[in-house]
Amino acid sequence: MLNIKDLHATVDGKEILKGLSLTVNAGEVHAIMGPNGSGKSTLAHVLAGREGYSVTAGSVSFDGKDLLTLEPEARACEGVFLGFQYPVEIPGVSNLTLLKAAINARRKYRGGTEIEAGDFLAWIRDRAKIVKIDPKMLSRGVNEGFSGGEKKRNEILQMLILEPRLMILDETDSGLDIDALKVVSDGINTLRSPERATVLVTHYQRLLDYVQPDFVHVLARGRIVKSGGPELARELEEKGYGWLEAA
Amino acid sequence: MKLEAYRKAFEQLAAGLGDTPSRDSRRAQFERFAAVGFPSKREEDWRYTDLASLSEKQFALPADGGDALIPQALADSQQLVFVDGRFDAARSSTQQHIGNIATTETADDDGLAALNAAFASPGLDLQLAAGQVLAQPLHLLFLGSGSATGTMTHQRHRIVLGSGASASVILEFARDSADERLATHTLSIELGANASLRLYRLQRESAGATLLTRIDARLDRDSRLRALCLDAGGGFVRHDCNVTLAAPGCEAEVHGLYVPQPRAHVDNHTRIVHAAPHGRSREHFRGIVGERTRAVFSGKVVVQPGAQKTDSEQRIANLLLSKRAEVNAKPDLEIYADDVKCAHGATVGQLDETALAYLRSRGIDAATAKALLLRAFALEILDHVEFAPLRRHIEDILDFPDDPELDRLIEAIA
Ligand SMILES: Nc1ncnc2c1ncn2[C@@H]1O[C@H](COP(=O)(O)OP(=O)(O)O)[C@@H](O)[C@H]1O
Ligand SMILES: [Mg+2]
Repeated sequence: MLNIKDLHATVDGKEILKGLSLTVNAGEVHAIMGPNGSGKSTLAHVLAGREGYSVTAGSVSFDGKDLLTLEPEARACEGVFLGFQYPVEIPGVSNLTLLKAAINARRKYRGGTEIEAGDFLAWIRDRAKIVKIDPKMLSRGVNEGFSGGEKKRNEILQMLILEPRLMILDETDSGLDIDALKVVSDGINTLRSPERATVLVTHYQRLLDYVQPDFVHVLARGRIVKSGGPELARELEEKGYGWLEAA
Repeated sequence: MKLEAYRKAFEQLAAGLGDTPSRDSRRAQFERFAAVGFPSKREEDWRYTDLASLSEKQFALPADGGDALIPQALADSQQLVFVDGRFDAARSSTQQHIGNIATTETADDDGLAALNAAFASPGLDLQLAAGQVLAQPLHLLFLGSGSATGTMTHQRHRIVLGSGASASVILEFARDSADERLATHTLSIELGANASLRLYRLQRESAGATLLTRIDARLDRDSRLRALCLDAGGGFVRHDCNVTLAAPGCEAEVHGLYVPQPRAHVDNHTRIVHAAPHGRSREHFRGIVGERTRAVFSGKVVVQPGAQKTDSEQRIANLLLSKRAEVNAKPDLEIYADDVKCAHGATVGQLDETALAYLRSRGIDAATAKALLLRAFALEILDHVEFAPLRRHIEDILDFPDDPELDRLIEAIA
């Protein structure tokens, strides 16, 4: 599904990703761990097409398509979803406005018609239940006045509503108490299916107890320096990253 | 000779008036204009809006019978249509409230006021007796015909509300051809005790148009003025709005939104004078200024001696969409009373790129995402528009991605 080959990317002229390769197949869950500043968020943003990140070498294909030539909105419509490490507050644009525009953008991309008001509301209510968000909150501006945990749950809600095929979640588990963590992982597991793939960027083993990964990778100094199964995450939890950075 | 074309136009007008007192007082006004001329850039109030080139223009008076495309009427309102400065009874839904306002007095010795008084054609004359309530908003449309190229129009308007009377008035300036035209409008407002007026001034003139409007309002005890100014056109525009809270307990809201088109010039000058105690004034202006466009805002608030317990707030925010956009925003407070609450602030910012990226990451195309953010910025001002058909009309003018169905949903869910 996702094929990243020898990816090099710079931010402000500084090379952050230095030859990263990773293959993610449909149905798989990959966890990417690594020290702060190693380039995890950079990878996520490059995949989502964020401006300001330039790819200097390498390739990324998504279902055989060259992802890097697509505008960010087209990537989203193709089914790529990025859960932000720091979700943005947008007063004046309500959550519902964003959701409806996002749903209709996808439908338009696929040549479909706009969603009916009744269907939209029913769908929102249904999904909001999973992440325990009161639909009332969705009439507010995007993430406006949301607590840290609510913002993360809102990312998962957007994901549940948009039903992407590739879910990239950048530290969605950081700063969550155990109840919120449970809600977030329920959300992720709801979408888990043989047609979908998940990339979890995380610091902690905790999330991986709820969302079992098939593969665990360590990103350091702009590349994947080690890959393994779920046991690698436990090893990292015990030993930290020092032994890998030295390697 | 300077202002020659104006004199020629005036003599033409005067000849049609015959030997009447009106002609004499108009002539006095014209001579005053001829002596003073247009305001100069050297005057502080006209620093950014240079009218010098108007002196050399050859504007003529428009011929009768100009025809313009009349836009669809707003629901639940009465239309008064003016084409080329003349009232068009056939296209209006009421013939009431039209009048020729006496040209004898002008507020001060401003050359523009004299020019306007000398040439003034009939305009709005809304006079409500004590306790009278205007059932529907009056929507005045100032349109231009295709045959009025190179012409000038001048109109005087008046709103006098008796005590406890209330009304809602919309002035919309929408001459939509790209040739050069000049229009001046003056509006004097008197609000009796406890009277209430909602006033909307909408401008969507096209490039080539020069529009100079001036409002002078005087508020009597416990009266309330709520004014909103929207600029969305491409012309060269100057608005003056002078409000005096002349008696205790008055409230004045003067809000504005300017989203000028490329190469437009929009200058809003407001002056709010608290002349009596316990007055409240609110002034919120927001601007979205793009490519090669200049926006000027000058907001003066004066709290006169004795105007204790004044509560005044002025906030200005501008969004610059281009490096070649220019904004001059100047708050100006003069406070001569000690027991008052006066706040003011002005900001200039750019579109939030992080928010834009966030919306795009959800599949929303860049143009829609940008429009959503611009609307979000404008919302604080738009939310002051309580008359729903007008709100819709304004969102249309601004080309905002508004969605009434979704708005109802949001209200239902909240
Ligand atoms: N917008 C940016 N401008 C400049 N440097 C950046 C920017 N974003 C990230 N970086 C730098 O790139 C490196 C990797 O950051 P990031 O991808 O956020 O790491 P991680 O998510 O693994 O903690 C860091 O050195 C960080 O300082
Ligand atoms: Mg990060």
